[in-house]
Amino acid sequence: MSMTLYHGEPNGPSLTVLATLIAKQVPAELRYIDLARGQRHTLPFAQQPLVAMSIEGEGPVLVVDGEAMSDSVFIACYLDDVGQAPALRPAEPYARWEMMRWCRQMIERTAPAAAYLGCHAHPPRADAGILEKIGSVDLRARWQQSTAGQFSAEQLADSRTKIGLAVERIEERLADREWLIGAFSIADLESFAWLAGMVSLVPEAFAARGRTAAWLARVRATPAVARALALARSADPAASWSVGPEINRWG
Amino acid sequence: MQHLQKEGVGLMASVTLYHWEPNANSGKPMLALMEKGVAFNSRYLDLLNFDQHKPEYLAVNPQGTIPAMLHADRVLTESTAIMEYVDEAFPGPRLMPEDPRDRWRVRWWMKFMDQWLGPSFSMIGWSVFVGPSVRSRDPKELEAAVERIPLPERRVAWRKAITGQFSAEEMAESRRRVAQGIRMLEHELAQRPWLASNHYSLADINGFNLAYALPLSQPTLSNDELTPNILRWLRAIYARPATKACWALGRTSLVKRVTILEQPHIGGPVA
Repeated sequence: MSMTLYHGEPNGPSLTVLATLIAKQVPAELRYIDLARGQRHTLPFAQQPLVAMSIEGEGPVLVVDGEAMSDSVFIACYLDDVGQAPALRPAEPYARWEMMRWCRQMIERTAPAAAYLGCHAHPPRADAGILEKIGSVDLRARWQQSTAGQFSAEQLADSRTKIGLAVERIEERLADREWLIGAFSIADLESFAWLAGMVSLVPEAFAARGRTAAWLARVRATPAVARALALARSADPAASWSVGPEINRWG
Repeated sequence: MQHLQKEGVGLMASVTLYHWEPNANSGKPMLALMEKGVAFNSRYLDLLNFDQHKPEYLAVNPQGTIPAMLHADRVLTESTAIMEYVDEAFPGPRLMPEDPRDRWRVRWWMKFMDQWLGPSFSMIGWSVFVGPSVRSRDPKELEAAVERIPLPERRVAWRKAITGQFSAEEMAESRRRVAQGIRMLEHELAQRPWLASNHYSLADINGFNLAYALPLSQPTLSNDELTPNILRWLRAIYARPATKACWALGRTSLVKRVTILEQPHIGGPVA
């Protein structure tokens, strides 16, 4: 089986997948792409529907025997299936439901907010030639807004609120446990990956959240995350952002 | 009402499902349970009567979203995550493929439908069905009902549906997404018998709940000439006994639309 992972700086979705790949000891060729320059759209498989229309925005792509796979949590589930022990998902169905529901909230509520705030503070820059190549009309529109610096005060405020809510949920969850769902899992990785860069951007959300701070440090110290972070090309990978999932259109 | 398929009449099922019509999110765990042959107590909530925001239901699911499932003493929410749970927690035919990459594809499609395509279908559905269905009621009563909705974003959605305030741009964007989603489904279903793998899976259950009335609601975009693979797929799912049993639980005209799939040929609209 031939496997290649195209990934950006170890932050957000690239961090989730890199750390999972390392933890599961899956042999894959690693290829760095600059997600903040829209480089994913220049790759030969960029127009495959399940890459072009991924609603994660600019995330990593795992190519397995010619099929290009997107969406970090689901790539991580795949790697958990094919890789070595330990498992990064619980075995018991109810705990697995908890993990998938937790990740869904991260994907749907937290990730769009984090990407919006991240792009506002550290704008990605793609030239016009690359923007033209973006297959998804709504992803292209988000790139154009981001490139033009069109961030609404209302959405920035709403995004800060959502980061606050995510941290509150984590703080509450950690009252009687070390990891979010059972043993160290994809839920810890995905939550850490989106929130690590928010500590400096939304400091008020993390103030007096001692359990969350300790958990962030624990996740960072796991061998897989430490090794993934060591792949960074910039001094501060948590400041590397690209266009993310859209903020819910309605309901 | 109880639907006892395996345990025999008189025994209480250990599963209780709170649901609306076999449509969209409610229909997903309903059909998954039916396919697995899991008996469940059916608790029908009338979405148009705001049953899901009444105290009795909020005691089960404080967020007031439908569906919710009780299994033993546990409450589960989020329809797609419930489906994965149903598949793993009960015996019966597997609804997730064996191959890990197939499983990735199942999850990719379910997310795409849940978070991108579904909300666009739903905006159109709410503007043409849900809004008009409740609009004739006493405005004060409606406002009080909306005020009881726990999630702020659901309050916004209901207000828009009731007052018909979806903007022209919002509706145009939803129509664009529906058209693109139909092209993507047709393309994918041309590759293999089922949506995400060569085996019937949760992705098909999810997709059917979204698309079962497609040739009726989008006749210019989906019919036997334009999207033969979508129509083949919808008819194959409709032919399954579990689907028939599930759709029989519907009470409104909404889900009766499924009978269009009984027509042997659905042509495009005549000009």
